[in-house]
Amino acid sequence: MSRSSVHSPHGPENEHKTMQSYVVGFILSLIFTFIPYYMVVNEVVSGTALLATILGFAVVQMIIQVVFFLHLGRGPKPFYNIVFLVFTVVAILVVVGGSVVIMHNLHYNKTIPDQTKSLINDEGIYQIEGTLTGACRGQHDNHQVTIKDGKVSPLYTAAKQCDTLTFINEDDGTRKISFGQHENHGSYAGNTEIEVKKGRNKTITLSETGAYQFHDHLHHETAGVFTVTK
Amino acid sequence: MSRHIDHEAEATDRVMFGFWVYLMTDLLMFAILFAVYAVLHGNTLGGETGRDLFSLPLALQETLLLLTSSFTCGIAMIAARQRKKAQTLLWFGITFALGLAFLGLELYEFAEFIHEGHTMQTNAFLSSFFVLVGTHGLHITSGLLWMGVTLIYVMKRGLNDHLVRKLAMLSLFWHFLDIVWIFIFTTVYLRAFV
Repeated sequence: MSRSSVHSPHGPENEHKTMQSYVVGFILSLIFTFIPYYMVVNEVVSGTALLATILGFAVVQMIIQVVFFLHLGRGPKPFYNIVFLVFTVVAILVVVGGSVVIMHNLHYNKTIPDQTKSLINDEGIYQIEGTLTGACRGQHDNHQVTIKDGKVSPLYTAAKQCDTLTFINEDDGTRKISFGQHENHGSYAGNTEIEVKKGRNKTITLSETGAYQFHDHLHHETAGVFTVTK
Repeated sequence: MSRHIDHEAEATDRVMFGFWVYLMTDLLMFAILFAVYAVLHGNTLGGETGRDLFSLPLALQETLLLLTSSFTCGIAMIAARQRKKAQTLLWFGITFALGLAFLGLELYEFAEFIHEGHTMQTNAFLSSFFVLVGTHGLHITSGLLWMGVTLIYVMKRGLNDHLVRKLAMLSLFWHFLDIVWIFIFTTVYLRAFV
């Protein structure tokens, strides 16, 4: 990387030092390989904590090898090498970090079957290559649920399949309507969460039959029930 | 005479810096493959996951082989800088053998997967796995070819400045591949068992 890489002073002391740095780097690398291996095999900790720990060990081992094997920072002109390395690391953090965070969010918000279902309902695709999808056709009744002062009225709505249900938000805040119990969300006809801004309303098509609970994700006491029959 | 050495040293600086820039762009490519794997590693299409397929002891053996070869490569460079031809050949020879053993294990793993019907076409998880680990394997293969050819030159012509510079670049490349492997070991193999 620098003058010293090829044209080192032929002093035995310098070579001895280089040798020492390789041995130290090798031993440290071995240690930092075996610790995460041991932790994973024996599940010393689990889940996110374990993942963070082993990634931490990988980064430390990378730094060890950069210092002890690549000898970055030694030699007379390592400046541009380090500039390039830092630039590359920043670019990697943006690309890898950004991709992982964004894709994780997308996965979290909607699974692929849910996406397909809501697309079918929104676009009214009632059949694909001769197979009925369960999406609704034609005009049907509309039911309304009003949320005011944190209260849902009516608490209970009975509807027929393919009717529509409109959530009206007359409160000051945005309502995020989820289906199922709090902290254990399900989805209804491909909808995992319906966001209704203050003073606005939103309508869904009741294409799936059964009894369903819904609640505001942020204020789970604001809840109601609807049933859909054939 | 001293002017000549200065000139040589400057050329070395330039060449080594250029090679360093290449390594950094290569690192960016690997980073993108890592991002792809991180995003797709769960998409198994209902098939077997990394936990069912990977063997941790095998991955550990590969890691130890490559790590040791990175170490012996460093020792070989010390000998090369001192123009000790026999020692240079010996240590680079050991590095070459370790690298070859690593490649053998990797190909064995790939062959097992393919034999059991887990190929690149099976699902997105396996596609990204084969591309990431395979790209690293290709780098190792080209490193081994480069090492073999350079060592033949060393045997024939002895250790001149030009060849020592080549070996210095090669050792940089080899250390770099070991660092990339640390992240494959961690984010592909260890992570599958978290």
